[in-house]
Amino acid sequence: MAASTDMVSAVKIAGAMVGAGLALGGGAVGASIGDGLAGSQTIAGVARNPEAQGRLTTIMFLTVGLCEAAYFINLVFAALFVFSLGK
Amino acid sequence: MGLSNLAATPLTGIDITVGLHVHWKIGGLTINGEIVWATVIAGIIVVTGGLLMAKRATSGVPSKPQLLWELIVGAVQKQVDDTIGPRGAKVVPLALTLFVFIFTCNLFEVLSIGSPIDWLPAPTSDINLPLAMALYVIVLVHVAAIRNRGVGGYFRHYYARPFPKKLFLVNLFMNGVEELVKPVTLTLRLFGNLFAGGLMLSLLASLVIWKLGAVPIGGILSVPFTVIWKLFDMAIGAIQAFIFALLTILYFDTAMAPDAEHVAEGDYIDA
Repeated sequence: MAASTDMVSAVKIAGAMVGAGLALGGGAVGASIGDGLAGSQTIAGVARNPEAQGRLTTIMFLTVGLCEAAYFINLVFAALFVFSLGK
Repeated sequence: MGLSNLAATPLTGIDITVGLHVHWKIGGLTINGEIVWATVIAGIIVVTGGLLMAKRATSGVPSKPQLLWELIVGAVQKQVDDTIGPRGAKVVPLALTLFVFIFTCNLFEVLSIGSPIDWLPAPTSDINLPLAMALYVIVLVHVAAIRNRGVGGYFRHYYARPFPKKLFLVNLFMNGVEELVKPVTLTLRLFGNLFAGGLMLSLLASLVIWKLGAVPIGGILSVPFTVIWKLFDMAIGAIQAFIFALLTILYFDTAMAPDAEHVAEGDYIDA
């Protein structure tokens, strides 16, 4: 019972989509938790010491950029799955 | 059963392709043409701007571009001073060039329209340029580490830290992974952000061929969405350029730190 090419490509596409979805979903959870932590701590810091707002905002954006970068790395792999491996 | 009926569903009907480039085949190499000329144009902009600025620089009343330039140089210098200290004076030009160049490259994203081949894309949205820059930085970091600690100190650093020497296998493994991961994350962070920006533009552009309501809804929606996304993307580009330069500085900091101080610190920022 040989698998038809249709079946093979269907399995490939399904796997690619599921993999990309898992990568994006998990990455989004992690990145948003990280962003939230950075933001909440910045708010706490500014509430304690309002003069530090300028410096804290810079550091917060830096941290948010780093957190989101992890997600964007995931996005690259998701795109790799969907556009290259799933074809 | 074929998959052809998949194309009838609205989402898969949108045909977004990535990795299409103007290919130049030279020998066994495939070169992405539009990335090359976009890089060259960005380089010309940065070099000409820098040279003009050097020529026009005055100690009198500065012009507006000079103010901007001094702001950037001052920010990078302060960052290096705060992180590495006076030892890191040599890192300032590198970090400054990286920041300005990557920022200029990232600004090209504003010009792209989300077609399969953009004629002037952000060069950093192709993996080759970020990878080249990351490798360049990492090689320089290792050279700096060897010059700082000597060859023996450089290798001792790998097996004698962070645990005692008895656990040198664990140390080797951890430090090796760390050193390997550095260039990879440095590359993928920049590339991923810019690539995702371009992909998002393609998605927004494809709203126009949205099967549910192409002509009134999709066409109208795609314009403001694109504008908003591009504004957001410019901020992302600036942040990513800054992060690339900052991580360069931090890597140089770990490479240039004196050994004793370094061991005493135990750990340091790594990302």
